[in-house]
Parts: sequence; C-alpha cells; structure tokens
Amino acid sequence: MASATAEQRLTTLWERPHTIYGWLATVDHKDLGIRYLFTAFCFLLVGGLEALAMRIQLARADHNFLTPEMYDQIFSMHGITMIFWYAAPILSGFSVYLVPLMIGARDMAFPRLNAFTYWTYLFSGILLYVAPAIGQAPHAGWFSYVPYTDVRYSPGLGMDFYALSLIFLTISTTGGASNFIVTILRLRAPGMAISRMPLFLYSTLTISFVILFALPALTVACVFLELDRRWGTHFFDIVAGGIPTLWQQLFWFFGHPWVYIIFLPATGMISLIIPVFSRRPIVGYPYVAVSTILTGVVGFSVWLHHMFTVGMSDLAMSFFSAGSMTISLFTTVTVFAWIATLWKGRPVPTTSMYFALGSVALLVIGGLSGVFTGIIPVDWQAHNTYYVVAHIHYVLIGSNLFPVFAGFYYWLPKMTGRMMSERLGKWSFWIMFVGFNVGFFPMHIVGLLGMPRRIYTYGSGLGLQPMNEVMTVGAFVLGIGILISMINLMISVRSGKLAGKNPWNSDGLEWETDSPPQSYATVHIPTVTTRHPLWDDHDEEADPEDDRLLDEARLTLTTSWLDARPLSVATMPGDTLLPLISAATMFGIFCFLIFQLLWPALALTAATLVMFGIWMWPKPMKGEL
Amino acid sequence: MSPTVYAPSHHGETTRQWPIEDHRGLYAMYTVIATELSLFICLFASYYYLGNNKDRWAIDRPPKLHFALIMLAVLLSSSAVLRWGELQVKRARYRSARIAISLTVAIGLVFLLLQGFEYKEHWKTLTPWSDSYGSIFYVITSFHAAHVIMGILLLAYVAVLPQYGPTVAPPYRPYQTVALYWHFVDLVWIFIVALLYVVPNMQAH
Repeated sequence: MASATAEQRLTTLWERPHTIYGWLATVDHKDLGIRYLFTAFCFLLVGGLEALAMRIQLARADHNFLTPEMYDQIFSMHGITMIFWYAAPILSGFSVYLVPLMIGARDMAFPRLNAFTYWTYLFSGILLYVAPAIGQAPHAGWFSYVPYTDVRYSPGLGMDFYALSLIFLTISTTGGASNFIVTILRLRAPGMAISRMPLFLYSTLTISFVILFALPALTVACVFLELDRRWGTHFFDIVAGGIPTLWQQLFWFFGHPWVYIIFLPATGMISLIIPVFSRRPIVGYPYVAVSTILTGVVGFSVWLHHMFTVGMSDLAMSFFSAGSMTISLFTTVTVFAWIATLWKGRPVPTTSMYFALGSVALLVIGGLSGVFTGIIPVDWQAHNTYYVVAHIHYVLIGSNLFPVFAGFYYWLPKMTGRMMSERLGKWSFWIMFVGFNVGFFPMHIVGLLGMPRRIYTYGSGLGLQPMNEVMTVGAFVLGIGILISMINLMISVRSGKLAGKNPWNSDGLEWETDSPPQSYATVHIPTVTTRHPLWDDHDEEADPEDDRLLDEARLTLTTSWLDARPLSVATMPGDTLLPLISAATMFGIFCFLIFQLLWPALALTAATLVMFGIWMWPKPMKGEL
Repeated sequence: MSPTVYAPSHHGETTRQWPIEDHRGLYAMYTVIATELSLFICLFASYYYLGNNKDRWAIDRPPKLHFALIMLAVLLSSSAVLRWGELQVKRARYRSARIAISLTVAIGLVFLLLQGFEYKEHWKTLTPWSDSYGSIFYVITSFHAAHVIMGILLLAYVAVLPQYGPTVAPPYRPYQTVALYWHFVDLVWIFIVALLYVVPNMQAH
C-alpha cells in the first residue's frame, strides 16, 4: 500500500517549483498539454475572427468592408492558422496531456523534447503572425500555388513568412511525432498489450507515423519555394526547366495525409467517448483499430485528387479516384462501429455525448460530399467553388472542432478538477450545431450555382446575396456557441462542482489519477489485464513489494512494445530552461532567414547546436540512485 | 499479465530485477531516420519529376564519376571503421572505441574536403542558377553534405562523452545511436551516386 511518505517523496521528485523559473522550465506533460490546448484554442479564436471578417465582407454583393488585398490576406491567414496552428496542435494538446496518463507512465518518453516541441510550436505561430503585424501577410491561400507565389507575382515578405514559419512548425510536429511513437511503444503499463490499448492511442500512433513520412514533402516544397524566391534557383520556373506542378505534387503528397493527421485523433477521442456514455465496450474494437491504421496508410495514395483539373493520364486519375473512394470505407467501418455501440448500449445524454454524436452527423455529410468530389466529372464541375469549401468545413469541423469540444467536456474535469455545467454545455452545443449548419450548408448550393471560392465579392445580379446573408448569420451564431462554452469553462474553474477521480465512470487509466492528477500521476505504476482497466476487478495499483513505486529518482517503467512485458527502468530528466532557450534561438534563425541574413542565421545555428550539446550532456540526477 | 518474480527491495538500494537502462534514444533515432528517408525520397522524386520529358537533362552532361566513386569508397570505409568501434563498445573496450569514432570523424572530414573539390570542378559547367537540373543537383548533394556535417558533429560529441559507471548512462547506447545515423547518411550517398552519377553516365551513350 502507498504510504504517506512515498507520496511525499514522489511529490518532491516530480513537482516543479511554483516560481517563474519553474513555469518556464517545466517538462511536465500535464503543464505542456494544457499549454498546447490553450495556445491552439487562441489560434482557433484568431482564425475564427478572420472567418467572421470574411463573412461580413461576403454578406452583401459588391461589398467594400475589406479591400481585395486585405481579403486575400485574411482568407489565407484563416486557412493557414486553422489547418496548421489550430487543428493539429489542439489534438497534440490532448495527446500530450492524456497519452502518459492513459498508458500509466509518469511522463512522455522525452520530456524535454516535449517542452521543446511546445515552444517551437508557439514561436512558429508568433513568427507567422509577425507577417500581418508588419502588413505583409501571406495571400495565396493555405496551399500557396506557384507561380502565383513566385517573387515576380508576390513581392514582399508574405510568402517568405509562410514558407519559413511552416518549416519551423514541421520541426515541432516531427519532434512531437517521434516522442509519441517512442512513448506509446515503450512506456505502456505492464500488461497493456497492443491489443488492449485505448483506441485513441491507435490514432495517435498512426498519425505519428504518417507525420514522419508526410511532413518532409512540405519541408522540401517550402525549401524549394524559398530558394526560388530569394536565392535564384529554378525549381518552379518553366523558362529554366522548372515545373510549377512540382509544388502541387509535393504539397498534396503532404497535404492529404495531413487531413488524416487532424482527423484520426479526433475519431479516436470519439471512439473513447461514445462507449463510455453508451455504458458498454465499443463494438468491433479490432476493426476500428485496423481501420485507423489503414486510413493512415491509404491516406498516402489519394493526394492527386486535389489535382484532377491539372491534367494527367487517365490511369493516374482512375487510380487516385479509386483510392479516394477506398479510404471512405475505413471511416465507414468506424462510423458503423459507433452506431452499433449506441444501438447495443444504454446511451447517457451528456454534453460530451451530444458533441460526439453531432460530430458523427456532420462527418457523414462531409464524408458524402467527399465521395462526390472523388468522382472525376463531379470534381471538374465543383473544383474551386464553394462546394469544396462546404466539404472541407463539414469534414474539418465535423471531425475536428466538434470532437475537440466533446473532448473538452469529457476531459476538462480531469484537467481542472471541476465539472462544467451540463445546462450551458447543451445550450452551447445546440447553438453551435445550428449555427454551423446554417452557416455552411448553403455553401453546397451556392457552390453548385457557381460561386467561386477565394474571390472577395460577387456581383449583385447573380442572386447569391440572400444565401450569403444567411451564411453570415450562421457563422456568427456558431461563434456565440463557442463563446458560451468558454464562459462555461470560466465559471467551472471558479465554482464548478468537484469532479473526483472518475466522474463519468470511465474505463481508461487516466481516470485512476486524481483530478487534477498529481505530478507523478499514480503512486505505483499500474498494471493492466483487460481493455477496460477501471471496469474490471483487477486492482491496477496493487503492488505489495513496492516494486512499481520507483521513488528513488525521476523514473518510469519501460515495457516491450507488443505485449508490454516490463523490461527496464528508465530515468527521466528534471526541469530545465534549455528547451525554451534552444527554441528561442531557432526562432532567431528563422527570423534572420526571412530577411536573408545568412551569417547571423548560421551563428545562431551554431548557438542552437551548443544548446543541444549541453542538453544531452550526462548529468547527475535529482534523487538518489 | 504474467507477473515477474519481484526481488525484495529497500529504499536506497537498487536491487530490483529491472536494470536501469533503456532503448529510447535508439528508437528515436529510428524515427529520425524514417523521416530523413522520406525527405530524400521526396528530393529524388523531385529530381525525376523535373527531369521528366526534358530535352536537356543529366544525360547530355552526366556528372563526372571519379570523385563520386572515391567519395563512396571513403564513406563506406568510415562505416566499416565505425562498425568495428561498435563491436569494441560491446566488449567494453572503450579506448579502442573512442579511437574508432575519432577516426570516423576524420574520414568524414576527408569526405567533405573531396565534396569541396567535386563542387569546385562541377561549378565550371553547372551552378544552382543554371537551370532546374543544377538547382536540384546541388540541393540534393548539399542536403547530404549537411547531413554529413551533422553526423560528424554527433560522432565527435559521443567521442568526448564522459564515461560514467556501468549502470548510469554508459556510452554504449549513444554510440550505437549515432552510429546508426552515420550508416544511414552513408546509405543515402550510395543512392545519390547510383541515381545522380552512375545512371546518367550509363544513359549518355
């Protein structure tokens, strides 16, 4: 049994100092996860305000609320912010916070790398937003096709900010992926064989591998773009043998897997939430797990469907059209598993469940319009119209924003220790759900009527104004719904009911910890015997010999990747400022590169490498060993 | 789970049955190599995409082979030396291991020197600003050179790592980890020689 002294020892070892130094130097995944969530949510709000500005402009035909140049910059910043700095990082936030708790580890495999990836994420976002601050924002959409983004047609620094802040972000994302892979494969609690992992971990693991293989294409594309723009090379310059579609190939080879990167973890969250609130295990666990992995794999063979109008051989088009339709099968398997779980269970109507079910409804609509656009003739018709805008928003809001809110209502009590108001939550859900559909469903229709995307206005004689007015109202209603949830959170943090360890009677190991969890998570590293540790009779923390107490230093247990046999004890690093400092020097490197100051950038590169050298130098550990 | 036999333990004494050791760094290096592999695959794919249906490409002016092949021999020999060093570490002969890793660093520097000569000669007929072929040729080879520089820094770092006692942070894992990276950088050069040097020379006739 846990003695009071063991808890005290663990607290001394793991608790960070509550000072400014401790706040900056923390490597605790719980601190970092909350920071990820907070930062990504701020980007959601900024991107959302940009969207509202666009909707005001489009509410009237021939409106002059925004100039064409401003509109271009705002829709580009909206897309870039939402896709790169909100959608994926908010899921990383959930993963950073939850993965170690779900697998019964004391932290991520590389806690300092975890801090480093957070700081680089934050700094890359700051770098991106320096661009509009100096009045030269990117203005070519989130996929920035050449030759429009070439220096001849896009002078100014906007596209340089785009290319370099994205390269900076890929460093953060790749580091995070590497960390998740090693954490999930090596640090799972004894007994949590790969066949007993929560489905959320399958999603996180799959997308981490997808990130490793997909992100370099974006890096290469951005490097080529920057070299072409500022250093005189000819990758995209037809006159000197370059090919503009090289950008498209590289970008979409990265871009379509990225859609799954911001989609799969969200489905993983729903795969945990729906069973808990149906009061039964998920139906078809192995099928959902395998579908998740296959979605990640097949996600690499659909990228050309973004380019059907570019001109390519019939064979290539048929292959990628078939691939695009195949991939919908895997999502279908998952959706049917959710429906069957509901059908066989006794659903509990909580706010979290509302958001999960709302997300399924939106996802199905978005998925179906995706099947349409996967059909080549339909795609030719709908290409670059608002139909595609409707599709992407149904998929992304259905498979990212609504699951994220489901996740907030489900896990925030764990993070804050206090319950949120169900009453306000349900108001928020219905307002968001109605607002979203009013705001986005008409886009299908105006798209089919021929309204092109990315144009700052439309003629008054086209008859598009009534539906655009409706959409603008819907967008604002959606914003109000989000606002209500934010108010709900603020009230809950001040005066919500105490949550206790397991307010939802859930099955996952994260509910074994206190709310909010202690810095060391559980006193003894838990052991697991089934897929639903808290629903079975096994006592996860039973450890009569204190073997899994590990209170001599910052330690955690490593296990074998397949069947989670305990193998060894891993030492964990203490708090340090080095991740913050090296992320800051990297920020400097990219700032200098934007202004083509090569020597200062090289000097800072050397400084960063020195930081890494100090970082990795072996040092005595806190505690006694 | 099948519980292992727990050895009795007391605080302060680490007599538990699990060693304080793990493979995290090695696993992380595998993920780094996976993503770097993808990076070079993207670069090679760009090379072929740009060269597709071109009336002037590498075939008209294949890069000279001699430097690339000498550099290949140099790099492969460095991998052999390093492999020998890895075996020395496993047998706890840390002195010979340090000598091996230092020698690898030296051979890596020779490679970079040769790369400099190669560039100097190549520069007379081709620069990154000539056309898209020049751009991609120099980007691929200089990306590789950057990886060689990174590899040299890593090897040199491990060569001077202090050796602690047998339980806490032995130099064995770092050695193995950076060696893995160095072998990967080697492997990439084999592909560069094959795809960017040998194949155009074969097609030229």
